[in-house]
Amino acid sequence: MKGELTAGKPRLEPPDSEVRQRIRQQRLRRFKTNIPLILMFLPVILFYLTFRYAPIGGLVMAFKDYNFYDGLWHSPWVGLDHFHTLFSDPRTVEIIRNTLFLSLLSIIVGFPIPIILAIMLNEVRNIAFKRTVQTVVYMPHFFSWVIIAMMIMTVFSLENGIVNRWVEAWTGEPYPFMYNKGSWIAVFVGSGIWKDMGFNAIIFLAALTTIDPSQYEAAQMDGASKLRQIWHVTLPGIRSTIILLLILSMGRVMEVGFDQVYMLQNSNVNEVADVISTYIYRTGLQGAQFSLTTAMGLFESLVAFILIFCANYIARRFNEGLW
Amino acid sequence: MRRTRGEQVFYMINYVLLTLVAISCILPLLNIVALSLSDARAVVSGKVGLWPVDFTWFSYHSLLTGTPILNAFWNSVEITLIGTGLSMAVTIMAAYPLSRRHFYNRRFFTMAMVFTMIFNGGLIPTYLVVQNLGLVNSYGALWLPGLVSTYNMLIMRSYFENLPGEVDEAARIDGCGELGLLFRIVLPLSKPLLATIALFYGVGYWNSFMNVMIYINDTSKYNMTVLVQNMIMSNLNVQDFTDPTMISNLTPEGIRAAAVIVMVIPILAVYPFLQKYFVKGVMLGSIKG
Repeated sequence: MKGELTAGKPRLEPPDSEVRQRIRQQRLRRFKTNIPLILMFLPVILFYLTFRYAPIGGLVMAFKDYNFYDGLWHSPWVGLDHFHTLFSDPRTVEIIRNTLFLSLLSIIVGFPIPIILAIMLNEVRNIAFKRTVQTVVYMPHFFSWVIIAMMIMTVFSLENGIVNRWVEAWTGEPYPFMYNKGSWIAVFVGSGIWKDMGFNAIIFLAALTTIDPSQYEAAQMDGASKLRQIWHVTLPGIRSTIILLLILSMGRVMEVGFDQVYMLQNSNVNEVADVISTYIYRTGLQGAQFSLTTAMGLFESLVAFILIFCANYIARRFNEGLW
Repeated sequence: MRRTRGEQVFYMINYVLLTLVAISCILPLLNIVALSLSDARAVVSGKVGLWPVDFTWFSYHSLLTGTPILNAFWNSVEITLIGTGLSMAVTIMAAYPLSRRHFYNRRFFTMAMVFTMIFNGGLIPTYLVVQNLGLVNSYGALWLPGLVSTYNMLIMRSYFENLPGEVDEAARIDGCGELGLLFRIVLPLSKPLLATIALFYGVGYWNSFMNVMIYINDTSKYNMTVLVQNMIMSNLNVQDFTDPTMISNLTPEGIRAAAVIVMVIPILAVYPFLQKYFVKGVMLGSIKG
């Protein structure tokens, strides 16, 4: 339509308007095929705005003194007061430290294990054996933490757990696994690894199938031992997958799964077992301290966000970035 | 090719280690099964290992008759079935338009969704949104906030994108609209993936714990996870059982073990059928990132 107003210019020749007509028709067709898609997509937009973006907007609460009477908009601003409160309270600093410690330990110890498991499974030639092992090790991933916590408490129970019956036969004394800080941390990290190692191995197994078998043959010709083949062929072959998953796991450094901690913790080990998510649940929801705990949540999200960016920045220097 | 001595050692160690790993995943479950089927005296004295001692159904009997586990079981079923259905529908509604190359602003929408994966409002602001919508104490609070998992949506989108384009062309020439294309071509071709994602959602809803604890106040609406967790935490009030003969023969361990088994059985029932799908599905998702 715009073109007709600029009449007189040589561009307005019949073949040109034909082209324009075609473009217009194409646009119309594109719009028509888009109508059902847009209609289908509207609820999705609504969902993301309501349940993903509105809570992000709700983060302003961290800078306000939220109370029920004034609501979110009319509550008074307090600036960074809540952050001051958090970082000057030794208890909350301890909670932040616990969160970082437990999740970093889980990543450092837990990250290589699915890779090792995938490589081991990849070396198995007996298909039936491989299938059986896979079926069994994937399984714990589908159990809730209630089930796994129950299994742990049963197996490690002081009075009649199987493990303690062995320990007792060995040393004469049962060992309170769940009530000593050191052993609690070990059980915590171990249970997280145990639950998800099989499932996390799937992605590495998928990456392993893309390695060209002739590389192994070549390595074998050169006299490389099995371990050397793994080191020089297998690991480089799945390098980009490893880096990708490492970046993604950096985003989770600040979050220790609520269910796992909540169900495994007890008053004897609170000093090491209280983490941000349990703190937010207890102080925020049960204690109704909305603003203070939102500040804690915002701090958690920000650190995670920054960690992802840093990890990606580093990965990009090796040409393996996510974006 | 002949195996060298070093390789033989490697394979042997490999088999032994994998067997141990697999056993470690099975034994705790067997122990719980054995506890749930053993007599109270054997449980207390710690005699039960991997095989039931003085076999009895008593734990299950008292669990089913003396606790609201059956009610919680049906609540779990309701939460899982409806939730999975809703989530699947809306995830498809998100993934399909985003997989169409001519869809407006698809890049922008994708980025906006991915952003919510790495930055979110957290528990308290989300709780207030749910509360303001009047969803507290209804299952809407479990279904709506978790309707779409962006991760699942991305897997689905890239799967749809990678379906062969020629089928698409042919269908369009035959006069198929976008919806016809979705229902007659795209979804039928994506069955393994849809099964995988439904399994992920289903397991998530079946195991949902924190949301139920936060949003549901009415104990008769609890699902099994929360009910069983409460039973474990409160050390099980034996007084809850009306029948006095039950009390003398009951052990908290036995009841809890039985409750765990009741919670695991549905997962174990569908697991073997779906295992091949989820392995395929995860692999498909992983290749395209």
